[in-house]
Parts: sequence; structure tokens; C-alpha cells
Amino acid sequence: MLQYIAKRLVGLVPTLLLVGLLVFLFVHLLPGDPARLAAGPEATPETVALVRSDLGLDQPLPRQFARFLNGVVHWDFGTSLRTKRPVATEIGDRFMPTFWLTLWSMAWSVAIGMTIGILSAVWRNRWPDRVGMTLAVSGISFPAFALGMVLMQIFSVELGWLPTVGDDTWRHYILPSLTLGAAVAAIMARFTRSSFVDILGEDYIRTARAKGLDERRVVIKHGMRNALIPVVTMMGLQFGFLLGGSIVVEKVFNWPGLGRLLVDAVDMRDYPVIQALVLLFSLEFILINLIVDILYGIINPTIRYR
Amino acid sequence: MKSLVRSIAAAALGLSALVAVPAFAAKDVVFAVASTFTTTDPYDANDTLSQAMAKSFYEGLYGFDKDMKMIPVLAESYDASTDGLVYTLKLRKGVKFHDGTDFKADAVKANLDRVTNPDNKLKRYGLYNNNIANVEVVDDYTARITLKTPFSPFIAQLAHPSTVMISPAALKQWGNKDIAFHPVGTGPFKFVEWKATDYLKVAKFDGYWKKGYPKVDTITWKPVVDNNSRAALMQTGEAHFTFPVPYELADVLKAKPDLELVAAPSIVLRYLSMNTQQKPFDNPKVRQAIAYAINKEALAKVAFNGYATPAEGVAPQGVEYAVKIGPWPYDVAKAKTLLAEAGYPNGFETELWSAYNYSTAQKVTQFLQQQLQQIGIKTKITLLEAGQRVEKVESWQDPATAPVRLYYVGWSTSTGEADWALRPLLYGESWPPKLFNTAYYKNDKVDADIKGAQLTTVSTEKAKFYKDAQETIWKDAPWAPLVTEKLLSAHNKKLTGVYVIPDASFIFTDIDLK
Repeated sequence: MLQYIAKRLVGLVPTLLLVGLLVFLFVHLLPGDPARLAAGPEATPETVALVRSDLGLDQPLPRQFARFLNGVVHWDFGTSLRTKRPVATEIGDRFMPTFWLTLWSMAWSVAIGMTIGILSAVWRNRWPDRVGMTLAVSGISFPAFALGMVLMQIFSVELGWLPTVGDDTWRHYILPSLTLGAAVAAIMARFTRSSFVDILGEDYIRTARAKGLDERRVVIKHGMRNALIPVVTMMGLQFGFLLGGSIVVEKVFNWPGLGRLLVDAVDMRDYPVIQALVLLFSLEFILINLIVDILYGIINPTIRYR
Repeated sequence: MKSLVRSIAAAALGLSALVAVPAFAAKDVVFAVASTFTTTDPYDANDTLSQAMAKSFYEGLYGFDKDMKMIPVLAESYDASTDGLVYTLKLRKGVKFHDGTDFKADAVKANLDRVTNPDNKLKRYGLYNNNIANVEVVDDYTARITLKTPFSPFIAQLAHPSTVMISPAALKQWGNKDIAFHPVGTGPFKFVEWKATDYLKVAKFDGYWKKGYPKVDTITWKPVVDNNSRAALMQTGEAHFTFPVPYELADVLKAKPDLELVAAPSIVLRYLSMNTQQKPFDNPKVRQAIAYAINKEALAKVAFNGYATPAEGVAPQGVEYAVKIGPWPYDVAKAKTLLAEAGYPNGFETELWSAYNYSTAQKVTQFLQQQLQQIGIKTKITLLEAGQRVEKVESWQDPATAPVRLYYVGWSTSTGEADWALRPLLYGESWPPKLFNTAYYKNDKVDADIKGAQLTTVSTEKAKFYKDAQETIWKDAPWAPLVTEKLLSAHNKKLTGVYVIPDASFIFTDIDLK
């Protein structure tokens, strides 16, 4: 097991290298001159040249890439072209708000989503299923920005119960995590339901029922474990997406997170920030996948790692 | 039961105490603004917002009042030599920086020397290095600035929000780059904290030279990107002032009894530039036809919800030496005649680009497309994203192959003076990539006027030069002038003394909270 984890972690290095190279090429292919953008509309050509050399963009591409790689190895991602603060600080400031928001959103949406999914599967085609799946479809189809605005209008503006924007207290987390989690809860509900419906038709469930086990034990003990595998996979994927920061939710709630940082960075062609963020997102996905793979083994002990 | 009543009463009491507290507490004002600040260093900023925010802690030698009239701030008066080369400035006495040092002539030298030194790589370098030759300290309260060539709008440049006085001691302590994280000026507020993701906070400076000011204790500048969220903050009372208010939310905020919506005049001119070096736009008749074909009144209503007025000249009213000529009349019949005379009775096909990709620009270009269709000109719309704009327009190297044709764009004359309204946009040497003459317009008479106005310090002569230039340009029509925008802001009725000035910067010297 440990050996397996170690092997996976080593395998991480070439993947990240490849991602680093691709994203480096990609950002330099984007149209638009970052020096010109940073210098602003009133700048003269001499100023643009000054800004360019200040940002190190006057050097040949291979040298820029070497510098970037060398920096990454030394845990130095350079400074943001836009704010001139170290990229590590820029990302560090925003990582935790995004992380906590993701965690809270995932926590409630997984709990609610799985409950709805199980209830829908057990009472398939009866009213709990109808209600549950109506909710789920609404959750998927209702756009997050609209949900965010509606929630804010009701709970902040009209009722005055919750704060509008920011991330200062736990109360600030309620509306954004509801907004962010709505779609995830819906997806989880649908996944859980279909996975459970399949499992409940299996022979071993019939056997368990034939043994005279009560329905609750059949569902929770025999159904749950087996149904969880695809659900956990989906959970991992969703977690990864949310960790990338939701642009829409962060904009509406003015959340100091990574999604907005990425959008701002792309707008201003802030190469170092884009590169570091994409690397971070890839790393997050790889790690989450690893965790999901380990969870498989815990859920189903017949799975072996090599 | 009794205990329940008692606890409810206690809770109510506690609650009312909580609610009552702010009334006696410090006067804390919150400004909700539209984007994050790039820097606190005005010499290294290129966005109006960062410079407006920096007015909390920085002041210039000159400045603007709320009507954008120039006023002396840290300077008391100036004296220009007759050849227009040497400016001698008398400075205000008894001004202290936040770090306790005195404001003296050495600060003028330190700040201007800093920005004109290319090693410091400041974004405003070009603006100053073009004209400042050297700065001398005559005595503690007299500074002498010598220019390379006569440049009559020089004092207007000193009034620009980027020309501020940073404490020389602080500059020495923090260095050229880090000063942006530790701003020390002479302004009414001193810097407290900047959390880049969340807010920037400033607090009252007790040693401010203007006695009795500022009247509030703190200002928190809160960047809130989303328009609706900013409006929500105003409605809940979490923010006292917000700018800009998008047109579609104007009515919502107007309806709230505790808020006041203000539509202030601006010097933001929106126009359609035409590449005069390329067929068919090399023919003035085609350009005039396009200008005639657009109904500017309707455009203001459709795209700007009525918060704009048809453009009245080449430079908007409010800019010094701007001449009121228009608006350009809307006359489709005349447009068709002109187009036929130019040899295009059936119109032609061309590209219509917008310098912006937000929704108002989309509405504008669609409206323009439909208007030009009336006279047979078919256009293909492209809304350029910032990077594309830079690549395809602003830094295009060879004027002969420039792909820009019809180009919807705007300009805010940040110095408030005609030179900066005309020279970057219409001077023969300002073609991209140098500056923003996207019409690739060159008229020797206009060039001579702009140059002539720069060289003279006599106001009436300047006015004559600029009048001639603007009238010539108007007739030549390298642009179809469209509209002048209004600036929509909202503030809580308890807040007074905060103004949006025509260049979209803020004035808040008199800020107070009831």
C-alpha cells in the first residue's frame, strides 16, 4: 500500500513537468502583449519597453522557460506581473478561502445528495423519487450565478439575516456554499440513485432479503458499500473542480478565491500566475485521484494495489 | 413564563444596545468599487481607480476640485518663464508627512527624479521623462523644474492624480518597489492595511495640514467585482458609496429611500474611428456619411439607458479648451447622397471592431451595425478582448497593413486639458504603436495647431490653436463622434462630500457621515 502511494507520487513528477511545459507554451501563445497591457493605455513605446524588461519578457522563450522551471524547483513562482507581489503570496492568500468553501459545499451537498439518492432508489418511481429527482434536475439546471443572486436578494437584502459579501465569519460561508453545492448535490443525488438502483437488483441483495434481514440493514450494509464506488469517483472529480475556484460564485459573493485570481490573471496575461495556478490545479487533481483510489480499497477490500 | 419574558426583554435590551453602538462609535465609511487595486503607487498605476484610492493618503502639488477645475494643493503658486521652459513653484508651509517629516522642496525633487529615472521602471515614466529635464531645490519651499521643450499643459500634468508627493524618507526606507505596500504621503488619511483580496483601509491622519479635516475616522475601500453584489451592499447599508452603478440597476437603487443616485457629467467620449489610410475611408465624404447615418440620441437611449448625451465636439465639454461644435446631425438622406458622391451608391462591406467586450459595447456595436445598414454599409462585428485589442490595434507595427477599419472606442482626458484629448488620438505622430490615433489621421494644419499650443504659455493663443484644430478635425471627420457618458454613482444619504469627477476619479476632501 505504502509502496503504491510512493510509486504514484513519483509518477507525479513527469506529469507536472509536462503540464508545466504545455501551460508555458499555451500562455505565450495567447494573443496580446502583457507588457503593453500592464503599461496601460496611456503609455509610450519607451515605457512599454521598460515594463517588458522589468517583467523579464524581453528574454528568449527557452531561457524564460528555464527560469520558470528553475524557480518552481526552488519553490519560487516569480512575481505577479499585475500586482508585483510574489505569486506564492497571491495564491496563498486565496487558497484557504477556496479550500474551506469547497469543503463546506462538498460536506452538505454530499450528505444531502446521497440521502436523496438513496431515498429515491429505495422508493423508486414513487413520490420520494419524484420529489428527489425534480429537486436534482432543478439543481443541475439552475445557473449558479442566478441562484447566488436570488439567495443574496432574499437573505441579505430583504431579510437582512446574512452578510452580503466577503469571507470573515462562518455566516459568510452559508450563502456561497449553498450556491456552490447545489449543482454538486444534484449530481450526487442522481449518481447515487442510479448506482443504488443497479445494486438493489443484484443477487446478493435478494439473498440478504431472503435471509430475513430488515430492509434498512439490506440497504445500508449490503447496498451502500457496493454502490459507493462510482459515487466516490464522482465526488473526487467534483471536489477537484470546486478546488479550482468557482468563477461565478466567487464573483457574485466577492469571494477572495482562486477562480477570480485566474480570470484576472488571464485578462492581464499575468503569465506567472496562470502558470502557477494551472500547475496547482493539476497537482490537486492528481492528489484527489490518488485519494479516491485509496478509498476504493477501503470501501471494497477485494481491490488490491500493485 | 416570567423568566422567559425576562430573558426576552434582556435580549431585546442587548440587541438595542448593539444596534445603538454605531451611532456613538467612530465614523467608518465603506466604499464599494468595481475592481481590485493594482498598486498604491500612483506613479506605477495606469488605472483611474487605483489613483483615485491613492488620494486617501497622497496629495499632489496641484489637484482638481469636484468640477475638475485645477486648484493648488501642496504648491501655493507657480511662475513660468516667458520661454515656457522653467517653472518655479512656491510650496505650502507647515505640511507634514504621515511619518512626521516636513514636506519641503526636496520631496518634489525626490519624486520627480524617481519617476524620470528609467532604472525605476515605473509605468508613468514616459509621461514625465518626455518633458522634465531637471528639478532643483532653490530653498526649502521653492522648487524649480526645467523642461526639455516648452510644454504649456505642464501644470495640468502636475494636477494629474499620478503626480503625488511621497515622503522622501519613506522612499529611502522602503525602496522603489516596496513603497507600494507602505505608502506615506501628506493626505488626510494614513494607510492602515491592504488585504489585496478583500479591502484597503485608511484612517484619519491627525497631523493633516488642513485643520478640521478629515471629518470621518476611517475609509475602507472594498473592491466588489459583481455589479449586482455591489448594489446589494448599498441596499443592506454595508457600503456607503459605490461607483460605477450599471445602467440597468439605476432604477432599483433610485427607488430606495435611503440612497441617492447621482448622474455626473463625464469627459469620457465615445467615438467610432475610421482608418483614414484605407479605402474607402480615405474619402472624407464616406466618413461624413457614416457620421450622418448614426442617430446619436437613439444610441444614448438604447445602449446607455439615457445616461449619455450626444457628443458635442472632438473633446468633451469639461476639458479645458474644448470647443462645442456639434452634435453631428442625424440625416440619412444626406448620408446616402454623400456616399453616392463618393462612388459607393450601394454601400460596401467592412469590419466593425469594438475595443471592449462588455454588454454596453455589444449594444452599441449592434446599434451601429443596424444604423449603417440603412445606407448600405454592411459590417461584421468583432468585440475585442483586451489581449486581442493590444495585438490587433494598439501595438500593430506597420500602419500600412493595419487591419483596423471601423473601431468603437472611448477616451477619458485624464489631465482635463485639450492637449491630452487631441495629441494621443489625432496627432500625426501618434499612430499606433506609439499612441492611439486609430484613425491613422494626419492633417498638417492640426499637427501645427497641437504643436503650436504646446509651445505657448499664453492662454488666449492656446485657445485659438485648439479651436482651429478641433474645427478642422470635426470637418475632416476621422471619427464619427458618438456620445459623452454620464457617470452613475450611488451613496447613502447619510454620506456627504464624495463626488465622482468627470474623469471618473473621486474627490472626497469634504467627506462626512451623519
